[in-house]
Amino acid sequence: MLAVALLLLGAQSPAAPPAKLAASIARVFGPGARTDTLRVDTVTVLRVSRADSLVGFAAVGNVLGKDQPITFLVAIDPTDRLKDVDILVYREPYGGEVAYEAWRRQFRGKSAGDSLRAGKEIRSISGATISVHAVTHGVRQMLADLTAWHRSGAIR
Amino acid sequence: MRTLLGLGFLVLMAPCPLQILAAQERTTVGGYGEVHYTNRTGPKTPAVVNLARFVVYLAHSFDDRLAFRSELEVEDAKVEGGKPGGEVALEQAYLDYRLGDWVTLRTGLVLAPIGIINETHEPPTFNGVERPGFDTDVIPTTWREIGVGAVGTIPGGSGLAYRVYLVNGLRADGLSAAEGIREGRQEGRQASFANPSFTGRVEWARPGVKIGGSFWYGGTADTNAAVGTGAFGAPVALVSADARYDSGPFALRAVVANISVSDAQAINAAYGQSVGSRIAGGYVEGAYNLLRALAPASSQKLNAFLRHERYDTQASVPAGVTRDRSLARRITTFGLTYKPTWNTAFKGDYRLLRNAAGAGELEVLSLGVGYQF
Repeated sequence: MLAVALLLLGAQSPAAPPAKLAASIARVFGPGARTDTLRVDTVTVLRVSRADSLVGFAAVGNVLGKDQPITFLVAIDPTDRLKDVDILVYREPYGGEVAYEAWRRQFRGKSAGDSLRAGKEIRSISGATISVHAVTHGVRQMLADLTAWHRSGAIR
Repeated sequence: MRTLLGLGFLVLMAPCPLQILAAQERTTVGGYGEVHYTNRTGPKTPAVVNLARFVVYLAHSFDDRLAFRSELEVEDAKVEGGKPGGEVALEQAYLDYRLGDWVTLRTGLVLAPIGIINETHEPPTFNGVERPGFDTDVIPTTWREIGVGAVGTIPGGSGLAYRVYLVNGLRADGLSAAEGIREGRQEGRQASFANPSFTGRVEWARPGVKIGGSFWYGGTADTNAAVGTGAFGAPVALVSADARYDSGPFALRAVVANISVSDAQAINAAYGQSVGSRIAGGYVEGAYNLLRALAPASSQKLNAFLRHERYDTQASVPAGVTRDRSLARRITTFGLTYKPTWNTAFKGDYRLLRNAAGAGELEVLSLGVGYQF
């Protein structure tokens, strides 16, 4: 089921290779998680469960860095807290520090109601300022969307 | 940075827009610039206002892997024959071929990956209207040469990144006592490749911290056998270390560099200069964001900063040269940087330019505005 879901998603989004997405889901939610695809408007959301109980949701987004899109994943738990952020594809020669675990882990546990600003709640990295601001902006937007959809029942 | 489509900070979710972003060729424009007001102490030194830099960033991605990136600069607003100042120059122009996070191949006019300012030189990224004197006289920013190399991050979550290039070398006939290697740069203009040089950098980063080490190694002789022979004859060897640390309202940065000019004596004999055999120095800078105390909720910044530079372009001299102690510079700069957004800056500072000889010392008040997008 996971494979099928990821294949479908992969076919629709060549910028996020299925293998990378599968590895990211396994890393964030642990191995053996089941993934179903949900649609909200034109957006694909992954519903992640284990033994028939919901463990969270994830979605893939893109945000523009200096001149290339940065493809990232946002995962939330069933209480709408951010579980983790992953950088699936980083294409630029500078600013790749946003993929470092030490930077990404600053987002963990955050909710849509929390203030998430680069240079304030999210520490920046010298020489990676553009990417830090772009990814922070993208994650904040995605977290807000996932939370709103979950609370409205659009994803469940 | 904005695309020509004006999409700006574009957030798109899978699936459809992803394909558009990934598959299409795309051109991006951006830029940075700065305007300065400078008032020196001393008689008959009226204030000067200058559009110091206007830079256009132009990039194009041909596909997922291949991209072109460039910066075209106009200095001092206008170039006119027979008048001093004014320059139109390419600061960077290269092609990148991305193989993976661990390596991107690069060729063209590239920035020497040395110190802090040379690669990250957009005005909102540093305090002070002018770049530090160290980043003019020791590390000659903006230092760019033509060559090939690779950039990337070392996988496994190490936090390490590298850049390494083989580029054209410096030219001995440009070296001088006061400005060190600065005018030895060739900057992509009919550059002699008689002395290929290696340059590179390794840096380690985590949130709020970046520590780097850089080098340059290569000859300067060009075709002058009196200065040196062979591709690596008469090498200039530079090593540099830098650190940046940000925590809450505090920001610290420091850079040191040591340049050895192996046959300064021969260069001086050939070109009538008094180039130092060793050029060395550094600076430390501390800043505090006053808005952390005045307006804690604000994401704007008002940095009060203090920087102290000590460097000497004749830290050592070869036989036959009497050290000019006025080249042992001690520059103290203090001032404010107001950043309403992370990519705009209004600056004001006061510089005390001192030297070990106590000769020609002066003080400078500067105001400036800078932006990047």
